[in-house]
Amino acid sequence: MRFWCFGLSAVSAAAALVAPAAAQAQAREPQLVVAVPPMPTPKNVDTEGGQTGVLGIQIAQLIASDLRSSGAIVAIDPDKLRRYTPTEAAAPIYPNWANSGAGALVQGYVQARDDGRITVACYLYDLKTRREMTRAGFAVGAEDWRRAAHRCADAFHKAITGLPGHFDSRITYVAETGSRSAPVKRLAIVNWDGTHHNFLTQGEGTVITPRLSPDGQRIVYVSFTGGMPHVRIMDLDGENDRALLAGPPAMSFAPVFSPDGRRIAFSMANEGNTDIYIVGAGGGFPQRLTTAPGIDTAPTFSPDGRSIAFESDRGGSQQIYVMNTDGSGQRRISFTGGGHGSPAWSPKGDLIAFSRWNGSTLSIGVIAPDGSGERMVTNGWQDERPSWAPDGEFLVFDRTQQGSGIPWPYTVRLDGAEPKRLAIPQPGSDPDWSGVLQ
Amino acid sequence: MKRMIAFLLFAVAAPVLAQPLPPPGPPGYPALQGPVLAIPVLQADLKAKAGTDTIRFSRDSYVLTPQSLATLTAQAQWLIQHPFVRASIEGHADGRQTRDYALALGERRAAAVRNYLIASGVPPQQLDIVSWGKERPTTAAAHDATWLQNSRVVTVLKQPPQPIYPTIPQPFPPPPPPEE
Repeated sequence: MRFWCFGLSAVSAAAALVAPAAAQAQAREPQLVVAVPPMPTPKNVDTEGGQTGVLGIQIAQLIASDLRSSGAIVAIDPDKLRRYTPTEAAAPIYPNWANSGAGALVQGYVQARDDGRITVACYLYDLKTRREMTRAGFAVGAEDWRRAAHRCADAFHKAITGLPGHFDSRITYVAETGSRSAPVKRLAIVNWDGTHHNFLTQGEGTVITPRLSPDGQRIVYVSFTGGMPHVRIMDLDGENDRALLAGPPAMSFAPVFSPDGRRIAFSMANEGNTDIYIVGAGGGFPQRLTTAPGIDTAPTFSPDGRSIAFESDRGGSQQIYVMNTDGSGQRRISFTGGGHGSPAWSPKGDLIAFSRWNGSTLSIGVIAPDGSGERMVTNGWQDERPSWAPDGEFLVFDRTQQGSGIPWPYTVRLDGAEPKRLAIPQPGSDPDWSGVLQ
Repeated sequence: MKRMIAFLLFAVAAPVLAQPLPPPGPPGYPALQGPVLAIPVLQADLKAKAGTDTIRFSRDSYVLTPQSLATLTAQAQWLIQHPFVRASIEGHADGRQTRDYALALGERRAAAVRNYLIASGVPPQQLDIVSWGKERPTTAAAHDATWLQNSRVVTVLKQPPQPIYPTIPQPFPPPPPPEE
């Protein structure tokens, strides 16, 4: 924090867009400095979430903390800024902020409602042009004030970068307990900041590789119940759990939703040959997309739904290929030494993340869909299965510790900052980050 | 002395020969000829006769080595002699494979083993195939030396879901009494 303050005071006289020296090496995009002063309340009222006056400070702190985790934004801490009145929230007095060093200003207010809930209103102003950039308002249960803060931060992130933020998004993963050779695996879901943790299955059968639907309402996963790994689909509340494919048992795995949520791509193995298929999310007869002898698996859709990236060992080693969604135009895009696996197409469409064998380590990297610009993002002993945040700026992945073999989901910013452990109560694997809460 | 030798022979042979009686089948059927020993006993017998129930592979490979082929030939002979025992051919990959690829590789290894057993004369319907990917490592430790321990296919015997009864020819109906 001290460092930011020093850096900001040094450049405060400069224009709205600054690039502090520390981040300059990593982030090429200019960063926007946003002032987030504490939010006022018209009347300090006791609610189930605390006093509204205190909530105003906490919400401002959470918005600043959310925005700060984005590489494109520098947030000034509420403690360092002057206070304002609720009536100013919708009509800022621009001269008062001229010397703050910020290019943009967050204002708003917290107000208790008669029904016990609270109203949180938030506004983002461009201090240079003196215009409103966006506004958002939410009526939430007082104890859910965090969600209101996250959704304000999402709205601001979208106004600043053009992409939805991930501050109100969820991560589904496989919670792992028991011994390594006979683990108990349960599907779990958690908000990206570690709050609202829930188990979706109770460990009665081994489950792996969950994926959320784009609307965040359904989940596809692989279950070993019945002795054969097969793809299943269920609602997030645990209802309507069923096998995706009807008919005789076949080994199916690696499912993923299409961006419109209406189709599911997956792999099916038969007689030592694994190929990629596509089927409607309601089931039906799957269409086969690959025919190469060898293992074709881990499909991932481009955000426009027209292409699928996947991994194949048809050329001798595991590499990443791209094809059209009807199976035509298959071409290899990764060529550097070692194997490439578990591709994940970014929601921006510009990059495909992967895990790559490099000597005796497996690490996460990114490559353009045309095969150019390959670079590494992490350097763990075993980092695999990257999955993108909705903003295309962060990845979550599965990191296994050498020796103990304990897996844990980590998040990392694309510029290669140090990965952070996801705040969950026990080890976990196969994280999937998608579905902004509706 | 002779009686003593006979007794000794009986004592040694008894555990192998004196298999428990099979459950009674439907009336009219002959008693089952197949073994109905408990599965763990049969699994131990398979291990003893074939040397091992586990075939190992090198990294990324699904190629059967000459040593594996000898083991599988012995396993096939055992399975042919025990036609009423089903076998699940369970393929595994090492934890250092990516998860989806590990599942596919386990299936590919299991398929290679199953195909060899079928080519050696085991009826296909006696063999199931399943891949565990990297979900069931043999060792809790995670380091580069686990490749050889975890890259494997295990022949796991299991009870058939219900006894298989041979179809027996029904006697012809008695000829109608001659008309007078």
